[in-house]
Amino acid sequence: MESRQPTIMLVDDDIDFLDLNRHVLERAGYRVVCSVARSEALASLAKEKPDLIITDLMMESLDTGFAFSRQIREDPTFRDIPIIIVTAVGSQLGFDFRPKTQDDLLAMRTDAFFEKPVAAKRLLAKIEELLGPRKPE
Amino acid sequence: MNSSGLRILVVDDELGMREGCRKILTSEGYDVEVAEDGVAGLDLFKERGNFAVALIDLKMPRMGGIELIEHLRALDEDVVIFVITAYATIDTAVEATRRGAYGYIPKPFTPDELLLPVRNGLDRRTLSIEAKRLREERERRLLELAVERSKSSTIISCMTDGVLVINRDRQIVLQNAAATRILPDCAAAPLPAPMERLGCTGLQALMEDALTSGPGPMIASREVALDRCTYMVNASPVREPTGEVSGAVVVLRDITALKKLEVAKSMFISMVAHEVKSPLAAIEGQLMAVLSGAAKDSPNQEKDMIERSLLRARTLRTMVSDLLNLTAMETGNFVIKRSPLDLRKVVAEAVESHRERAEAKHIELILAKGEGGADGLVLADRDSMFMVFANLIDNAVKYTPEHGHVNVRIEQEGVCVRVSVRDDGIGMAPEEKDSAFDEFFRAKNQYTVYVPGTGLGLTLVKRLVDMHQGKISVQSEPGKGSTFTISLPTAE
Repeated sequence: MESRQPTIMLVDDDIDFLDLNRHVLERAGYRVVCSVARSEALASLAKEKPDLIITDLMMESLDTGFAFSRQIREDPTFRDIPIIIVTAVGSQLGFDFRPKTQDDLLAMRTDAFFEKPVAAKRLLAKIEELLGPRKPE
Repeated sequence: MNSSGLRILVVDDELGMREGCRKILTSEGYDVEVAEDGVAGLDLFKERGNFAVALIDLKMPRMGGIELIEHLRALDEDVVIFVITAYATIDTAVEATRRGAYGYIPKPFTPDELLLPVRNGLDRRTLSIEAKRLREERERRLLELAVERSKSSTIISCMTDGVLVINRDRQIVLQNAAATRILPDCAAAPLPAPMERLGCTGLQALMEDALTSGPGPMIASREVALDRCTYMVNASPVREPTGEVSGAVVVLRDITALKKLEVAKSMFISMVAHEVKSPLAAIEGQLMAVLSGAAKDSPNQEKDMIERSLLRARTLRTMVSDLLNLTAMETGNFVIKRSPLDLRKVVAEAVESHRERAEAKHIELILAKGEGGADGLVLADRDSMFMVFANLIDNAVKYTPEHGHVNVRIEQEGVCVRVSVRDDGIGMAPEEKDSAFDEFFRAKNQYTVYVPGTGLGLTLVKRLVDMHQGKISVQSEPGKGSTFTISLPTAE
């Protein structure tokens, strides 16, 4: 059973969110790997083989936030890993990032979008929804 | 014509002639003065002046009539001069007239033969004086007008705002230099030029609004973007006294800098909002987790979450007060009370206030004095100086790993007191060093994500040092550490 434990990769430069979500996810029975930087996360993808990625936008500028999910989606090995964006940056400089439709999510190359802080229940429900069909029998 | 007060000079060497003239003219109300030769006549004229008429004999001792006429004419161009002589010849008459005599009265004469030419001469004098006055007035008015015109045209052409005037036929009839610069398309065209030449529909629509406006004062304005600049354009109708619109005056003001400021303000607010939102979301998330019992099976975890929330809340509060201080500095409301201050004391206090935190990380925190000592007083605000050094030492302790070293050094350097804070911590990359004093800038790396910070501390330090006419510099190398050096001029 232990070997079938799904791995979730957490990427966030806010150390408190990493700790908090790690705690929540570990209690729910997931294996959790944390990264404080995108580069670090990308480098460990092959080794950790996460089943799902939860990432902050970590905006240094307007476009870098979305570059991370684009990089994952463009890599044939990892393109199918579900991505959940959890961020405090819902809007900036008049741009509203919050996706309103499924198309918006697709355009953001992400599977779900939450604004911080997200209740553990909602996050876990979304993870189950995304991982459900993938769970091997 | 009222002859009273008009003064007449009679110059003749014959007493009978002088007194005869005086009698005739005085009876007509003229004011008469007499002289017996040219020299006496000239002296009298110079002394009394303002004679309307001069009656002058030609043949006189000392100075003859012809010479006297010349002198009088030079003194007064309006005085009417008559020659009175018994030995009249055509030649002398012509000569006298050439020198400036108005008429010629042959001796002997009857009272009327004297009075008639004198009256005629006076009439002519009045006319000529009036004509002269009118001429002078016209010239003065013309000069005023010219000055006035050149004033208005100078004002209009020197205005930094663009000015365009259009008539009711939609033709540009005037444009100043600034308008030509702003609208190069209409620069080449000779005036009047059709307003379509402006090639700016927004501007044309505004002019149309002004030309077709109803009664009452009306100013149409809108922002128009032209060639990377933004202009606030105001168009107001020019009305005839009848109320009919005869044209419009358009003023273009460059508000590009204002717009940039507006964007900068929005970006700043957005940045502040984000900097506030992130820690609030972290606090909220952790409290939610504690309340929902997510960590109830692990009391340590629960305590840790609450402690982290508290730390984030405190950092947030520091950030807000830093922001308030920065804003107060920008608006000039940040009051610094500068007095002669011994920096050694302030620096020592700042060092001591960080002693405990340094020891907790096993960091050696040393305060050293340079060889030259540092007994010079600086003219500074004590609280500001404490804030400066506390911030620098706080950073040094924060960004230095356990068992590191923080060296604070104070020394006299010519007319300055120099304080340096050196650490052997994580250091900064060149591009991080360049942005270190920017608002909200924080170097992002594996180490700094664990260190709480507002990104405002160094901004505040720099402003405070600037306010004290001091200098701050930084040397840094990743993995080797950073040194911040502050120089403050000593008090006289």
